[in-house]
Amino acid sequence: MRFWQLASFGGFLLLLPLILGLNDYYIFLTTLILLYTVIVMAWYFIGGLAGQLDLGAGAYHGLGAVVTGYLMIYYNVSGWIGLVLGGLAAMGVAFIVGFPSFRFGLKEVWYALASLGLVLILQKIFLLWTDVAGPLERYIPFREFDPLYMRARAKWFYYYITLGLLLITFYLAHRAKRGKLGLYLVSIRDEEEAAEMLGIDTRRYKLVALLTYSFITAVTGGIYASMVGFYHPILFDGWIGIQTATIAIVGGLGHFWGPPLTSVILLSIAEYLRINLGGTIPGLHQVIFGAILITAILFKPAGIGPYLESLIEKVRKR
Amino acid sequence: MDLLIDFAISLARNVVLGIMMGSVYALAAMGLALLFGVANLINFAHGEYVMLAMYMAYFFSVTLVIDPVVSSIINIPLFFLIGLVTYFLFFKRVINAPPLSQIAVTVGVVVLLRNIALVIWQAEPKAPPFTIFSASYEMGPITIPLDKLFATIISITSLILLYLFLERSKFGTAMRAAADDVDAVSMMGIDTGRLFLLTLGISMMLVGLSGSLIMMYQAVTPTSGLLFGLLSWAIVALAGLGSIRGIYLAAVIFGLADALASGMWDPRGREIILYGLFILILWLKPRGLWGRR
Repeated sequence: MRFWQLASFGGFLLLLPLILGLNDYYIFLTTLILLYTVIVMAWYFIGGLAGQLDLGAGAYHGLGAVVTGYLMIYYNVSGWIGLVLGGLAAMGVAFIVGFPSFRFGLKEVWYALASLGLVLILQKIFLLWTDVAGPLERYIPFREFDPLYMRARAKWFYYYITLGLLLITFYLAHRAKRGKLGLYLVSIRDEEEAAEMLGIDTRRYKLVALLTYSFITAVTGGIYASMVGFYHPILFDGWIGIQTATIAIVGGLGHFWGPPLTSVILLSIAEYLRINLGGTIPGLHQVIFGAILITAILFKPAGIGPYLESLIEKVRKR
Repeated sequence: MDLLIDFAISLARNVVLGIMMGSVYALAAMGLALLFGVANLINFAHGEYVMLAMYMAYFFSVTLVIDPVVSSIINIPLFFLIGLVTYFLFFKRVINAPPLSQIAVTVGVVVLLRNIALVIWQAEPKAPPFTIFSASYEMGPITIPLDKLFATIISITSLILLYLFLERSKFGTAMRAAADDVDAVSMMGIDTGRLFLLTLGISMMLVGLSGSLIMMYQAVTPTSGLLFGLLSWAIVALAGLGSIRGIYLAAVIFGLADALASGMWDPRGREIILYGLFILILWLKPRGLWGRR
C-alpha cells in the first residue's frame, strides 16, 4: 500500500512536465514553487529542528545565484561546479555570522532581525561591488541545450534539477530527523539549558543546522540564476526568508511534511492569484495571500500539518 | 589645508543632520519600545505602520492642501484608532502567546500592510508635495534645513510630554509597573487588557506623529517600512528597555551613523553601516547600553 502510494506520487512528479504539456511557462512556475519548497524544507534544519527563527534565506539564495552566475559568465565554469562553490560560499558567510551569533546567545526576535539584516547588508555590498554585480543585470550566455554547462532553453531541464534537489533535501532532513543530530537539535529547541547540561554542544549543532540550511538555499539560488538567465543584487531579497518562515510556521513548526505541503499549496494559490489579479491591480494577490497567512496562524496556531494528522487519525478510527 | 577645512565643514553638517534625523527616529523607536516593554508584544510590523503613517501624511497633505506637519493633527488620533482596531483584529489573540506566534502573526500584518499600500499608492515613490519649511537657514558654512529642525523640536517636545505622562499619571505609572512585572500589576486590580490596549494606542500615536515628521523631507514607497522597522529595533537593541532618555540617545547614535554614512561615504551604503552596527550591538551588548533586561 505504502509502496504504491509513493510510487504513484513519484511517477506523477516525474511526468509532471508532460502533464503540463511541456508548456514552458507552466513548467517555469512549477519549478519556482518547487524551488521555494526546497528552501522551506532546508529551513527545517535551522527552524523546524533547531528552533531558530532564521529570516536570512535571501542572503544565501542571492549568494548562490551570484557565485554560480559569475563563474558561468566570466570563467566559463559549469553551473554544476558553481552550485557547489556557491553553496560553500554561503556556508562561509553563515559561519562568519552564525558563529558569533550563537556564541553570544542571540535568540528569538533578535536572531530573526540579525538574519534579516544580513540579507540587506549583502544586497547593498553587491550593489556597490560593481566588479561582480552592481546595479545592472549580468546575463548568463545563452545555450540551446548544454547539460554539462547547466544551461538550457527548455524549462523542464531545471524542473528535473530542482526535483532532484528536493529529493536530496527530503532525504537529508529525514535522516537528520531520525538520527542523533535531530534528537540533539530538538532538545536544543525545546529546552536549550537542559540540553547544555546534558553535555550537548548546543552551539556546534546549531551551527551544523545553519550550515546545512545555507548550503541547500544557495544551491536553489544557483539554479534560479541559470533558469532566468541573469543575476542581480535584488536576488538578496528579504522577502524570501520571511515567506519561508511564515510558510513553515503555518505548516506546523517542527512538523516534517506539513511545511512542504503547505508551501506547495500556498505558493500555488499565490501564483494563481498573481496570474489572475496581478495584471489588473498589482499587489492585490499579496493582500489576499497575507490575509490567508494571518487567518491560518490565528485559527490554527499549531499549524496545518498537525491539524491534518489529527484529521487522518479520526478518519482511521472510524 | 583647504581639503581639511572642507572635510571639517562636511563633518559638522552631517553631525547636525544626524542629530536631527535621530531625533525623529526616536519617536518611532519609542513606540516600539513601549509595546515591547509594557505589553511584551513583538511587533514585526512596526516599520510598516510607520510606512502607512507616511502615506497618510502624504494623502492628507495632497487632498486637504496642508503641510505634512499639520497632517499630524489628523494622523495622531487616526493611528490611535488604527491601533485599537489592530488590537482587536490581530494582537488580542497573541498577546500572551509565545514569541514565535507573535512574530508569525505580525509578519502576516507586514505582508498585508505593505501590499495594501502597493494596491492604493503603487510602487513609485511619493514625495511630500510642498512644505513651508523647505527653506534652510545658513549658520556660517553650515546649512540647517528648517524642516528637519522643526521635526526635531516637535519630536523632543513629544518625548518630554510622554515622559511626564509616564511619570505623573496613574496610567503611566501602571504602564511602568507592567514593564517590570505584569502579574503583580494584574494582582493590584489593574485591567491589563485595557492597559495593553492603551499602550498599543500610544505606540501608534507615536508612529502616526513620526510618519508625519519623516514625510516632511523624505519620499515613501511600499517597502520603506523595512528600513524604519529594522532601525527602530536596532535603536531598542542599543538602548535596552530602560528609559526614554536611553532611547533618545541611541536614536541619535543611529541618526549620526546614518547621516555620516550617507553624507561622507555613499547613500547606497548607509544600510550596510546601520545593519552592520545593529548586528555588532546584538553580539557585543545584548542587554543594551542602559537596559534593564
